[in-house]
Amino acid sequence: MPVAGDPIVEVEGLTIRFGDFTAVDGLTFSIERGEVFGFLGPNGAGKTTTIRAITTIQRPTSGRVVIDGHDSSTDYLEARRCIGIAQQHISLDKDLTVRQNIKYHAMLHKIPKRVMEERVKSLSDMLGLGEHMDKKIADLSGGWKRKAAIVCSILHEPSVLFLDEPTAGLDTQSRHLLWELVRTLNSHGTTIFLTTHYIEEAESLCDRVAIIDRGKLSAIGTVDELKDIVGKVTVDVSEGSRTVPYHFASREEAKAFAESQGGEFFNIRRTTLEDVFLALSGDAKGRLGRCSGTSWTSRTAWRGGTCATSRGTFRRPC
Amino acid sequence: MAWGDLCYIKGNLPETLLTGLVGPLLYLLAFGYGVGGSMGGGQDYIVFIVPGIIALTTLSATFSTVSMKILVQRLFYMSFDEMLLCPIHIASVVIGKTASGVIRATLSCVVIMLVGHLIAPSVAISPYAILLVVFGAFMFSLLGLLAGMAVQKTNTLSLISGTVIVPMTFLCGTLFNVSALPAWAAAATYALPLTHVSQLMRAVMLGTDVPLDSIAMMVIYTAAFFSLCWWMIKTNRC
Repeated sequence: MPVAGDPIVEVEGLTIRFGDFTAVDGLTFSIERGEVFGFLGPNGAGKTTTIRAITTIQRPTSGRVVIDGHDSSTDYLEARRCIGIAQQHISLDKDLTVRQNIKYHAMLHKIPKRVMEERVKSLSDMLGLGEHMDKKIADLSGGWKRKAAIVCSILHEPSVLFLDEPTAGLDTQSRHLLWELVRTLNSHGTTIFLTTHYIEEAESLCDRVAIIDRGKLSAIGTVDELKDIVGKVTVDVSEGSRTVPYHFASREEAKAFAESQGGEFFNIRRTTLEDVFLALSGDAKGRLGRCSGTSWTSRTAWRGGTCATSRGTFRRPC
Repeated sequence: MAWGDLCYIKGNLPETLLTGLVGPLLYLLAFGYGVGGSMGGGQDYIVFIVPGIIALTTLSATFSTVSMKILVQRLFYMSFDEMLLCPIHIASVVIGKTASGVIRATLSCVVIMLVGHLIAPSVAISPYAILLVVFGAFMFSLLGLLAGMAVQKTNTLSLISGTVIVPMTFLCGTLFNVSALPAWAAAATYALPLTHVSQLMRAVMLGTDVPLDSIAMMVIYTAAFFSLCWWMIKTNRC
């Protein structure tokens, strides 16, 4: 009997190489049943390649993926029954209408006609697709194509739904509608694996978030746990034409630091997931290092001539 | 699996039939009446080339349709991946993806058979001929599927068409007897699958002895193409 919180997707040592290039480098993590799991990373970090491997499209160079108890390389048909995916690129047949694409997916998943019709009606009503059902995919705008793709991906009621940048190119209303859909599906027990470039989207929707950079896992945890890594309070200091964020464990420490800045303009605020993301991925990550000789925690980041710890960023030499 | 492609054919039937028929009917006109007439072959030559052109149609109506459709679905629509994500056996994928080619070729060949029978009544239409059309179309659709899954650019597909399909079109006994070629060229031609479809079609439609070795060669080619398609999907090489 499946229980919420059990691992529904287990990834062990997943590595994918294309020639000399390692796109995904030994990823190990698990996704719990019933959670919304965010998978963040800069462009080219390996998010889509990881999704393609988990969903059995891409054969891994090494490592193992288990979906709801089914090994994706040896028991791939059963693994595929458990998953739905709305890919980053609209992957519907553009020569067919929305209705034909949906019917095609229903047939491929062996969904009985009556059940399919009920689900299509309910989903198309929810997403407002009704009037576009008989239009060719090629004739729809990006937002409607995306909605049609999502209907196809959830038609067979998968246990885990992979959404690869589902709101890219959508207008604000459509994005909110999609967020609502994600919450509804999740409340009905569907585990969601979400990649997005909209950090606020991940912060708002996800129970846990993983940050991937250059094919490697940088951090994983709840949003609060991730914020703890860099510090929950941030001081933005204006340095010439740019604003540099410094992170601290508490408001008192942040305030003390801000006061020590003298006349410089500063702003004290809560650390956001975007701060965490910027600190743990891309070029900023390259400045992370250990700072010895301080009384602060060991995780440090260098920003220009300053030393940043998980409790705060300081101008004094470490 | 084939439903999506069949929907497309249904929605574009006139274009599908027209594009499948123009080439073969032009061959019939140009070679049957034009070249055949000027050589003094007349009616005998038309009787000779009708089965050849039908064999040729099993190739021309399938390879380009299937390979281009798969290439577009893989590289531009990305819908090929979507289909592979469904819990379907690989054999179903392979058979389903060849269906559009088989149907297009069968429809085109039936029309050419009717035209051929009208202009040369000694060319017989039989269930065996239809069966052979389906078999040949399936074999060449598998070749198209293989090409569509293997290439990464439309240019490469054009290269395959130019270097493999066009030579087959003219050399495999469709428009002239292979025995007229030098021995080495005839031997090379014998290794190509269209030669066997052509020989079998002529035997079935003109009532001569059926070359059993050609049936064996077609079975071998079909099994090889099917296995390669299956392996490519199984190992995610497409």
